[in-house]
Amino acid sequence: MSLQHLIPLLIATPGVLFLMLGTLWLLGGQVSERAISRMSKATHAFLVVVVVLIAWAMWRGNMVSMNVSLGDWFTVAEYGFPLSLLIDKLSLPLVGTTVVLAGIVGSFSVRYLHRDPGFFRFFLLLHLFTFGALLVFTAGSLDLLVVGWEIVGITSVLLIGFFQYRPDPVRNALRVFATYRVADLFMLTAVFLSHHWFGTASWAGMFSGDWPGSTYKFDGAAATVIAVLLAFAASGKSSQGPFCGWLPRAMEGPTPSSAVFYGAISVHAGAYLLLRVEPLLHHSVIATSLVIFIGLTTAFLGTLIHRTSADAKTSLAYAAQTQIGLIFAEIGFGWTTLAVIHLVGHAMLRTLQFLRAPSMLWDYHRVHAAAGGKLSPTGSYYESLLPSAVQIWLYRWALGRGFYDSIVERWVMAPVLTLARWLAIFEPRFPRRQPEAEPSTKVVETPVS
Amino acid sequence: MPVEYLTLPYLTTGLVCLLGGVMSSWRSGQPRKPAVMAAALAFVSFLGAAREVIAVGHGHLVDPLLPCFDADGLDAVPMAFYAALTLMVVVVAPRRDAGGRAMAGMLIISLATQIAYAAAGWTTLLSGWWLSCLPFVFGMFGVQHSNKLAIGLLIASCVALTASVAVMHAETFGNFSPGGELTFGLLVLAVMCRKGVFPLHSGVVQAFEKGALLPVVLLFNGHLGVLLVAHSEAAVLPQSAKHAFDILSVLAVVSAFLISIRAFAETKPRRLLAFLYVSQASFILAGIAAANIAGITGSLVHWLALSAASTGLICIVRVLEVRVSSAENPMVHLGLAVKAPRLATFFLICGLALIGLPGTLSYCGEELIFHGTLANHPAVGITLLVTSAFNAINLIRLYGILFLGVLPKHVIDIPDALPRERWPLTACVVFLILGGLFPGTIIGWRAETVQAIEKALGVAAVSMPQR
Repeated sequence: MSLQHLIPLLIATPGVLFLMLGTLWLLGGQVSERAISRMSKATHAFLVVVVVLIAWAMWRGNMVSMNVSLGDWFTVAEYGFPLSLLIDKLSLPLVGTTVVLAGIVGSFSVRYLHRDPGFFRFFLLLHLFTFGALLVFTAGSLDLLVVGWEIVGITSVLLIGFFQYRPDPVRNALRVFATYRVADLFMLTAVFLSHHWFGTASWAGMFSGDWPGSTYKFDGAAATVIAVLLAFAASGKSSQGPFCGWLPRAMEGPTPSSAVFYGAISVHAGAYLLLRVEPLLHHSVIATSLVIFIGLTTAFLGTLIHRTSADAKTSLAYAAQTQIGLIFAEIGFGWTTLAVIHLVGHAMLRTLQFLRAPSMLWDYHRVHAAAGGKLSPTGSYYESLLPSAVQIWLYRWALGRGFYDSIVERWVMAPVLTLARWLAIFEPRFPRRQPEAEPSTKVVETPVS
Repeated sequence: MPVEYLTLPYLTTGLVCLLGGVMSSWRSGQPRKPAVMAAALAFVSFLGAAREVIAVGHGHLVDPLLPCFDADGLDAVPMAFYAALTLMVVVVAPRRDAGGRAMAGMLIISLATQIAYAAAGWTTLLSGWWLSCLPFVFGMFGVQHSNKLAIGLLIASCVALTASVAVMHAETFGNFSPGGELTFGLLVLAVMCRKGVFPLHSGVVQAFEKGALLPVVLLFNGHLGVLLVAHSEAAVLPQSAKHAFDILSVLAVVSAFLISIRAFAETKPRRLLAFLYVSQASFILAGIAAANIAGITGSLVHWLALSAASTGLICIVRVLEVRVSSAENPMVHLGLAVKAPRLATFFLICGLALIGLPGTLSYCGEELIFHGTLANHPAVGITLLVTSAFNAINLIRLYGILFLGVLPKHVIDIPDALPRERWPLTACVVFLILGGLFPGTIIGWRAETVQAIEKALGVAAVSMPQR
């Protein structure tokens, strides 16, 4: 089978599995846990084999990149939505990481979620996520990347609200979704403006040459605008800069989903986007500076908060945020190869840490016992070199998580809600004849059919 | 130009089926059966007409029995589609909404909408427009004292359209004659009242909140306002019409944006759904007004996607209200996904399709609308993007209110989607997803009309005189 077929097969497999299982269930069918776990394991094993075959074929053929064009999704007048897939030195490591880590997390979840009422839902969403993530990393254009980007976003939100019978996950899922949507606005605007100004949003149309040596074809302020928009979009997906508040909220989901989304793949999608459009970023000093600034400030904030977090998953979330901030800075400085290595290594390590998080205490006691008694302290931190007043101030600031939530609530949400309430003046309410009855809390049981 | 006819009287047959359904279900002890039968037969008839129009590929095909009806590229597909929606609604309707008068009322709305679609002239369209409001005016879905504003605005739209048609018939006007401006001003007013364009949106919101939900979805998903605008644009109207529709398009964009913000302060599911619906429906007008192929195609595709998705959503909300009465005004999150996971899933898919999740039909529609509007007015395109994001947030809020959170103690056991509900909802979801995966087919159905409207608008723009 040629690469022309293998690459679409790789993307389509989890998507088709999702559609099949979903339709079967919607029509009333039931799938046992055992069947789901076998199907998932088989699928992930198959995907790993396909990725290995792709890598092997490219290595043997001495190919730097492989572009597969599947025509246009739809065409209207001069506008066409290109369906093109790209595998190159940047996407292949990420595709491999996605497939391997999704497989590991799937395998882990079979036991972790055994007899959980949401077992089926979790695997359904995991397959949809795998499809979306593979689409992001192999998309040959910004248009197609947006498709995968949004699929990853919605599955992420649904998994944050996985424990839907508790209020906190529901509230946090909504907050994360709102942040995603606002950040996605930057992405969508960039895509549309790119079409509007340059007539294309495909990598081949925007860049010449193969990654990492590609160069940007267009010039001027328009390119800067698009680069800045994409930098903000990437920040949203990777919980950086102005969007840094959602990652700890996302920890409400089950541990395996935290691992695959916020330790491994989804959270790195922003960094991937920046790497992909790196020639465009470096075309503009403003965009480059912005990426470095966002990365370093988030890393600083993240590392401070990480040290004051009381629970394991939140602490890991901030640690991940810190590392991704550093990856952003590396991209800004133009150290792309280092950034890719950092990204893949971080994804692997963080997945391991997240998956071990539920048994962290047990691990600690085991290591403690194995060390033959009390473990030695980890040593002093650099912040101890600061004056004590500064230390206290930083501690309070970190404990309040940079007061991010308060700022957003006061300066973003409150004005929008005020405007929303004010707009009610356009909805006249006529006096009622009778006072409105309190909503009934009785269940009407019989006349359903 | 010779008149071309349909090979069979599909339109007459469809309309007669619906009329028969009205009469047989009105007094029937089991009204659902004749109503479903009538809706199914009407669907087959209109589908036949649509197939023939698509096969011919151009122009109007007049019904051989009743020449006052015809089918063309603009209305043939919506006719078949609307018949399918009617069938879905009468099948899904809970027993308490499926009384004789209610079923007959729903079929009257369907009949009226189909008359408006099939109308070969303004007068026939006007009669369909009026007839669709009558079941509400005559209280066929129960007496609704608190629904006066909605009914008042519906009647106002009828009166405005009647006046507009009367002026149109009374005089012939040039590009900027006062008569022309009055005519198209009234036409725009009719569309605003009917579609709930800001600041007249409260009628639609009240209809959703206080009215019978399933008939309301049939009433508004006919999108007769859009039909009127599209017909007018395709007819190469004078320049005054173009100006009137420009104003309408601005109002539509403002409407979509402000209503999406307004929804943030709302917690009642019905009202929230209404805000979502009105805001998303305004995209259609905005796209048509873009006056380029991408925008118009996007609008005509979004029309279908919005109708299917909103019908699915509204049906689900209604069946939930029947199961859990507190769903009408929940104080807290209802957490119904635990008891009704399939309904939750259907709701989520329809909702995401409504706001344009990639892979659903409305993604394609919205994408084209954004491109179309951005090409003309970048600010409009970006405003619509922001609106789409706000609507998505509101949709997830609505989903959270109904399906997530702690299940109230009084909800002990409720059934999930019944087979009668499951199959139509699955069909709806399959349409939205398959349409999204293969949108080329649906775009192809609308291509001819798009060309006609775009050409007509181009001609109007070229012939713009100096005042």
